[in-house]
Amino acid sequence: MQFTAWLEHTAFSIWIRESPSLLVFPTFLIVHAFGMAFLAGTNAALDWRILGVAPQIPLRLMEKFFPVLWFGFVINLISGLLLLIGYPTKALTNPVFYIKIGCIAGGMVMMMLIRNRVIRDGRDGKMLAIVSLIFWISAIVAGRLLAYTCTYLMADLQC
Amino acid sequence: MLKAFMEMLLHWLPTTTIAYYMRGSWEWPAAESLHFIGLSMLIGTVGLFDLRLLGLGRSIPIHALHRLVPLGVLGYGINVFTGICFFTAQPDLFMFNPSFHLKVLFMSIAGVNVLLFYTTMLRKVRLLGPGENAPLPARIIGGVSLFLWLGVITFGRLLTFYKPPSHWCPWC
Repeated sequence: MQFTAWLEHTAFSIWIRESPSLLVFPTFLIVHAFGMAFLAGTNAALDWRILGVAPQIPLRLMEKFFPVLWFGFVINLISGLLLLIGYPTKALTNPVFYIKIGCIAGGMVMMMLIRNRVIRDGRDGKMLAIVSLIFWISAIVAGRLLAYTCTYLMADLQC
Repeated sequence: MLKAFMEMLLHWLPTTTIAYYMRGSWEWPAAESLHFIGLSMLIGTVGLFDLRLLGLGRSIPIHALHRLVPLGVLGYGINVFTGICFFTAQPDLFMFNPSFHLKVLFMSIAGVNVLLFYTTMLRKVRLLGPGENAPLPARIIGGVSLFLWLGVITFGRLLTFYKPPSHWCPWC
């Protein structure tokens, strides 16, 4: 809490929170939505393919879409960090935030396991695909619920 | 006439059963979560298809990738349903919200774009093998589609920043 209180007093954090420009906070949120759509959406498409939807797509070729996945992850890492710097206490005192990050980490691990074991080695991936879908859906829901589970808006300000 | 109709909706919609349930403790966040899942389903399938039209992942045959699109349509359907739930529960948040108007405008143009694709290009595109480029009109339609759906997400995200009555559609 001390660290987050300090962070909230830096010029950068204040700028993220208080800038009236549409290109700051609203844009970070928009970019975060894009990244979510590309990362979770494409992962879900990959999972459904493994589970048997659109079997005409050669599974090995789905690796061609991994740049889309990485693009989604990177823009969300960056936009997520920027949003976090804006409201660090709000996020870090909320257990739902840690659930969200955990689900994303789980989803990314599944993504790499799927790439290595299923796409490249040709092993069966149904369990991995199901777990992956659960992680990504949970990440999206946890992210949405952040808006409803606030305790501290800032270090010295309750929600 | 239109004004009278909108006034009627503003007063009647919040009295409906859908609106009653949406005022509950968990229904609105649940609908929002479904709305985000739906949009991810749409971009993850239709978006991927658009990217293929634009040339990404050329080794994947287009007609095979097209088989994922029904999941995108399901995502779209989830979003239409949840969207109607939001509008019904709180029409005052949306009816004169300029961001909402732009979101609906982009959705409508996207719909026209989809129709255009299916009536002109689908036949030609279906016959393409792996490694082949889509014809230019198909690439344009794909690019426009991706742009429009990302625009829908953008205006959706901006809704909360343009809520009436502090903001009002300048063309109303």
